[in-house]
Order: sequence, then structure tokens, then C-alpha cells
Amino acid sequence: MSIILSALQYLGYILIFPGFLFCFLGGMLLCGIDRKIVAKMQKRVGPPVLQPFYDFFKLCGKETIVPAAAAKTTFLMAPLVGLAALVVIQLFIPVFHFSAFSGMADIIVILYLLLIPALSIIIGGAASGSPYAGVGLSREMVTVIACELPLVLVLLAVAKTVGSALGTGLCFSLTEIAAYQAANGSLILRASMIPAALAFLLVIPGETGNHPFDAAEAETEICEGMLAEYSGPPLAVYKLSHAIKMLTLTSLFVALFLGGIGGKIVNILALLGLTGGAAGALGVLLGAVVLFLLCALITIVCISLVHAATARLKIEQIFKYYWTVVSALALMSLVLAWYGL
Amino acid sequence: MSMLSYQHFPIYAIMSLFLGAFLVVMLGKNRAVRNALAFISVSASLGFLLALVKRVMIDGEVIAYWMGGRVPAGGYAIGIALEVDALSLFFGLLIAVAVFVSCVYSFSYMSHDDNVREYYTLFLMLAGGVMGLVLSGDLFNMFIMVEILTFAAVALTAFRNTAAGALEAAFKYLVVGCMGSTCILVGTVMLYAQAHTLNFAQLSALIAGDMNTATKVAFALLFIGFSTKAFIVPFHPLAADAHGAAPASISVLISGVLTKSGLYGIIRLTYFLFQSMGLGSMQFLLVFVGSLSMFICVTMALAQHDFKRLLAFHSISQIGYVLTAAGLCTAMGISAGLYHAMNHTIFKGLLFLAAGAVLHQTGTTDLGRLGGLSKRMPHTTVLFLIGAFSISGIPPFNGFASKWMIYQATYMKAVESGNIGFLLVTIIALVTSVLTLASFVKVSQSVFFGRLPAEFENVKEVPFGMRFAMGIFALLCVVTGLFPNLVTNYLTKPAAAAVFSVGNYIDSMMGAGYAESVMAAPPAAPVITYTELGCWDPVSWLLILAIALLAVTIVALAGKYDRVSLRPAATDAKHDLFFGGEESVYSQVGGGDLFWGFKHNWRHYFGFMHDLHSGIVNDYALWALVALALALLFSLIVL
Repeated sequence: MSIILSALQYLGYILIFPGFLFCFLGGMLLCGIDRKIVAKMQKRVGPPVLQPFYDFFKLCGKETIVPAAAAKTTFLMAPLVGLAALVVIQLFIPVFHFSAFSGMADIIVILYLLLIPALSIIIGGAASGSPYAGVGLSREMVTVIACELPLVLVLLAVAKTVGSALGTGLCFSLTEIAAYQAANGSLILRASMIPAALAFLLVIPGETGNHPFDAAEAETEICEGMLAEYSGPPLAVYKLSHAIKMLTLTSLFVALFLGGIGGKIVNILALLGLTGGAAGALGVLLGAVVLFLLCALITIVCISLVHAATARLKIEQIFKYYWTVVSALALMSLVLAWYGL
Repeated sequence: MSMLSYQHFPIYAIMSLFLGAFLVVMLGKNRAVRNALAFISVSASLGFLLALVKRVMIDGEVIAYWMGGRVPAGGYAIGIALEVDALSLFFGLLIAVAVFVSCVYSFSYMSHDDNVREYYTLFLMLAGGVMGLVLSGDLFNMFIMVEILTFAAVALTAFRNTAAGALEAAFKYLVVGCMGSTCILVGTVMLYAQAHTLNFAQLSALIAGDMNTATKVAFALLFIGFSTKAFIVPFHPLAADAHGAAPASISVLISGVLTKSGLYGIIRLTYFLFQSMGLGSMQFLLVFVGSLSMFICVTMALAQHDFKRLLAFHSISQIGYVLTAAGLCTAMGISAGLYHAMNHTIFKGLLFLAAGAVLHQTGTTDLGRLGGLSKRMPHTTVLFLIGAFSISGIPPFNGFASKWMIYQATYMKAVESGNIGFLLVTIIALVTSVLTLASFVKVSQSVFFGRLPAEFENVKEVPFGMRFAMGIFALLCVVTGLFPNLVTNYLTKPAAAAVFSVGNYIDSMMGAGYAESVMAAPPAAPVITYTELGCWDPVSWLLILAIALLAVTIVALAGKYDRVSLRPAATDAKHDLFFGGEESVYSQVGGGDLFWGFKHNWRHYFGFMHDLHSGIVNDYALWALVALALALLFSLIVL
């Protein structure tokens, strides 16, 4: 009986929260908010916030076209693998003190798991056989390489900071990082971690492929690159994956740098006099809401505002930018963390 | 001892390969007889080693075997000895498995070649040479085996001597390989002059406490000698040429087996013979050379236009990981390094076999000419992708499991020693991994995906035998990635424990108490424990991913996701697009130059590297001399 119950519980995690349903709603809303804010900054009315949902369902009703040059199975399966892999990553990111699956993957693993969605879109694009996709995947891969170095430096800096605070030397576990922050305040409050947080914020638009780092999808020159041949439901899945990626990366930022808010939530619940199971459930709900609001805030700051204010960079400029400016910021944090500051 | 006593098994494992070589040349005129002989001898070799797993790996026994029963007399070991501890057996098993799979693959792969009898003879000589090297307990016999394997490898490199560059590659390999072998010989002679013995265990006991100028010079010579066998920087150009020219089944041996013999030599040299890994300078040497190989070779691979040359450079890059991890001199480091060495044999073997399959069906490995083969060779494509994901360290394949341990080991070392240099090594290792991925995305785009050129319209899938051989490696890639604990508990931890048990190694050969009587304080056998810093549970992850994927797929299929309503004609004009006014052949996305956005920023580096790798054997011989000079300087001044 208890096995069935726990199986149902895990299924619930995967399908509802923090799995598919949460990802779907959260990601799509983030996407809608992003489009609205960009429109406002450009003095347009912009689409309604729910527009991504409409787009998604409309695309699902459209026909699928598989090019003659494409490898059909790979072409159709790649988007699904990417989506599933992304949702699984979301399951490993703790929502403040609640983590659905703890002790399964640490930050280095997540760094590599994040490559799978990128790889799925690359393989899908390659399988389409389109020359546009060829250019697109070349640029996407270079963007991935570009983001990897600063991301590695940020994660190592966080691991060192939390590890030396805990006395273990290094700490790679996201759950432990979240717990540490809940007890000792957010990492972003430390002076040494501010450059790393900035670097991570700059990595987010690169990883999600948003302006000005969207050379891989550049609609106006290479017709969305790897998506050029996609239509109908597979395209809808890619659009959804893109939206979820925004949610994943912003919630990873929250987990790494803003975990201290988890402690506040517990305090508030204690003040309200709630204990036991009710407090747990309410805490998770409250955590989810706060997490989403924070994600929306980060999206506005590092995706929407940057989008509205900049023009698209060339791929070699993207690479240079990440391996110099952003990496230097992250390196600064790492060196400061190394010397225990 | 009865003939069937397990103590004979190591020599049987070597003998069955050499015996097979002679029998093939005598009786192997008929194809079926030849194949049967080769198959029996490689299977027997694998079987004998597998039969030792329980005793050596689990019970921790060290098998000391004196040929002809000539045990040491008067305190000196004069007989020929084999000594098999967990480290030897670990490498022996890798070799036996790689040789077995390569042999199965050869049956179909070499069926169109001439002189196949000679091929199998040389193949088995090469395998026997490497097997003899790792199971030998005698420095001079190691040299003999090095000679055998070098000459077999040179001959096999030039086996398809009508192919462009085959003779040239073999010649380069011969020149530099012989310089390496000579170094090993001179080093051996110098040690013999010092200690009056060639037995490895006795030498280890006598040399360790007595580091004078002559032994230091011997160290430099032996180190460079084994480095040429492992093809680490600056000997990497040889590997690229050799792999490019050799048949794919031989590339599997060169990368999976021959480089392992060099690595094995370096580990024996540093941890056993000189017992100098405690020194910071020694760790620096291995980690520095390892990191250099890791990074230089991955960037060299990014610049390649040929499938097999690209794989060759990646091979050395991965050897760099192993050397770096071994150079950390921590339990976790050496365990991670050995794990990666094993994975390297598996995934690199798979990739070379996939490249061989492409060559076999299309007749070329030029990335610029190939494309779209996934539609004609779907099974090879899937097998290639498994290998590519493994080498790129994509979870849950085996490359990730071992690389992830290497990242932890290097970072932990950095924190424990307070040396910021190891932090840099961690970063290089992490970045190299993503560059590897980029390189394999390039291969999959320009060989298996993208557009199918008209000349390959009628290409067919490879025969079952070749797919079966690749399937074995692919299965191993998945299994060793999904169950890292089994691998570490039964293979790498015993081998790592053996690496740190020099005293036990000496005593097993020379009699209990010998190490203590010669060396003031023999190194105590350590307990190999380490706590992994992070957490990674591949099976659960895969389970969750499977559930998630199932959920998406069901929803997608219920919504008629794969309903295809329109299929445009293959000759649609939109596929004939131009980039920026140039025809696609002139565009920047040609097979060899897919990542120009990256290469543009590193153009000075790539230009420098391009000029440096002149392809002239004189230059490479000079590099070898410079490396030797530097090693001598290092050894005399720093050590």
C-alpha cells in the first residue's frame, strides 16, 4: 500500500509539481510576460500574456511536414526527448526547502544534463537536412561552448563558498546549498558572490537563446536555423521547451543565489502558527508562488529588458563576450571564494 | 603445480595470442580456419583473464609466476617472471575485451582485403605484445614486448599500403616509435647497471631509496619511452597519421590497447619503480602533461577534416584525462583515471568501428564529402551516437561517470592541497568536455545527418558481424555508465589499491619481508576509501526520464503528432540555397569548419598549431628529442 502511495506521489511530482504541469504553466506565463514587457518597452500594445498558450494549441492543431531530406524518426523524436530531459532537470532543482528528488543529481550533473535539451535541438535540426539548420546548429553549438566556461566558473565558485562555510571543503549538492542558504541567508548577499550572480544572469539569455544572443535562431537571416523545417506539433514542443528552459534557468538562479528566502517562508508559516502537514503543503505552495514571481522578475531583468535594449550580436562576438567579460566576472568570484572572502 | 593451476593462466593468456599468430600463418590459408584460429586464441586469452578476476580483483591475491620455476637465488631474481596484481589484470582485461571485439569486427571488415592471413598474424602479435607487457614482472621483458608491439603496429598501420599516406604514416611511427623504444632500452640498461637485476619488484625495492643521477636519467628515458607509446603530447601527431591510415579494427587496438600500454608503463614507473608520486614535482609532471594533451588534442580535433584523424586526436585528449587523474596521487584520482581508461577503450573502440563502417560502405572518411548517412545506415548512426555521447560526457553514458569523478578528484585535490593550479586543471577538464561534444556534433552533422550526397544514394547498412561488434561496445558504454558502483567496487578500486600497495607487490614476488628488509619502511597498503562529493544516480535518473518521455510520447501520439500531411519532393529548389551569395561548398559551414564562430576567436592559436604540425617526420623526431631533453632537465633539476 505504502509503495503504491509513494509511487503515486512520485508520479505526481513528475506530472504535476514541479514536473510537467508546473513547467508548462510557469514557462508559458514567463514567455507571455517577456513578450508583453518587450512590447511595452517598444511602445507597442503587444500580445496578451496568455498568447503563448494560444500559439501552442494552435500549432498543435496544424499539420506536420517532414522534409524529404530528413531522417524522419530522429526529426520527430528529438523535440520530445529534449522536452522530457528539461522537465527532469526541473525536478532536481529544489523549490527552496522542498526538493522532489534529492540526492540524485548535483550541480555538475545538472550542468551536463542541461546539454541534453541543447543537443536534442541540434540533432533534430541536423536530422532535418536543411542548410539553414546546418548554420543554426553551428551557431547553437558555439553558443553552448561560449556559455559553458562562465557557467562552470560560477558553479565551482558556489561549490567552494558553500563547501568552506560548511567545513566540507566543497559542496556540489543543490539540496545542501538550498539548506545552507535557508539557515544563513542568500548567497547573493555575500560581496564575493555578486560577480558570479551577475555572470549567471548574463548566461541565462545565452542559454535560452534570447536576444541579443540568438544568432542561432536569427529569424531574419537564417529562418530560425534549426527550427526552419519544423512545423505543427513538433514546433509547438520546441516552443514549449524554450519557454521551460527560461523557467529552469531562472529557478536554478534562485536555487543558487536566492535560497535564503526559503528560510523566510518557514518563519512566516511559524508566525502564522501553522505546524505539521498543513504547514508543509502550504509551504510548498507558497514556495512555488514565490519561486514563480522571482523567476518572472529575473526574466524581466535579464531577458526582456536586455532584449528590448540591444541588437543581435554576431556569433563570434557572442563567443568573445562570454569568454572574456562574463568569464572574468565569474572568475573574480571564484578567486574571491578561493581565498575565503 | 598442475597444468591447469590458475597460476599458469597469465602465461596462457599471452601464449594463446602468440600461438594463434603462428598457427594462423601456418594453417590459415583457408578463410574459415583462419577466422576460427583467431577467434579461439582471442577468446582463450579473454577466458584465462576472466578466470582470474575473483582471485585477483576480489580476494586481492597477487600472482607471482616464475617461468620454468626459476625462483630467485642468492637474493637475485634472474628468472623470467610474470606478476599479476589487480592493476595488471585491470589493463589485461581491457586489452582482452578490445582485442576480442576488434577480432569479431575484422571478420567482415577485412573480407575484401588481400593478405588477410598476414593481417591476423600481425593482429595477434600486436595483441600478444601488449598483453605480455602488462602481465610481465620484468623490465627487460617489458622492453621486448614493446618492440614486438611497435613493429606489429607499424606493419599494420601500413597494411593497406595502397591507401594514400599509409606508408608515410608507418614510417613516421617507425622513426619516433623506435626512438621511444631506444629510450626504454637505455633506461633499462642504466637501471640494470645500478641494481644488477631486471625484475620489476626487486628493482622497485632497490631503486626507491637510492635516487642518484643515473637513476634520474633512467627515469627521464623510461618516461619518454612510455610516453611515445601512449602518444601523449608532443607525440600526438603520430597517432593522427597512424589512425588515419590503419584499418579501423587496428585503430581500435592502437587507441584502446596500445596507448594503454604506455599509460600502464607510466603508472608502473612513477608509482612502483621510483615510488616518487608523493613528490609534488612528480604530480606536477603528470598533471601538466595530461592537461596539455587534453586541451591541445581537443583543439586539434576541432580543426580536422577527416573522420579518423579527428577520432585520433580525441583519443589522445581522453588519455590526457587519464594521465591527469593518475597524477593527482589520490585514491579517488587514480580510481577515476582507471575508470576513464576503461571507458576510453570502450567508447573509442566503438567510434573507430563506426568510422570503419562508414569507410567500408562509402570508401571515404572525408567529412566534407559525406553526409546524410543516417537514412542509409540507421543502426550505425545510433551506435555512433552512443559512442559520441559517451566520449562527450553526456549523462548517463560511461564517459560522464568517469569524467565526473575526475572533476571531483581534481577539485578536491585543489582544495586539499591549496594549490590553485589544480583548480585550473578542473576548469580545463570541464571545458575540454564541451569542446569534445562540439567536435562530435560536427561529425554527426557532416557524416550521419545533413544532406545525402548523390554519390552515396545506394549505400547500404554494414554486415551483421560489424554491427554486432559495435553493439558489444555500445552495450558496455551503457552498462558501465549506468552502474558506476559495480565498476568502481569490482574493477577500479582493487586496481587503485594495487597501485598504492608497492610493498605487497614486492613481497609477493620476492618473498614476505623482502620489502621491509631492503627499504627502510615499505609503503603500507592503504585502504581505498573516498567519499564522493556530489551525487549522481543514473538509474533513477533514467527511470524518471523514461516516465517523462513516455508521458510526452503518449500525449504526442494521441494528438497525432506523427501525422505527416505533406511530403515535398526531394528536388525542391529550396534545398539549393546559397549562403550570402556563395555556393554552399564555399560557405563557412563546410564539414571541416563547422564551428568557425569559435575558431575565429582562436584563430591565432589555430594558425600557430597549424604551422607547428608540419607533417614532416624530421620535425616530429626533433620534438621527441626536445621532449627528452626537457624530461632530462626536469628529472635532474627538479626531481
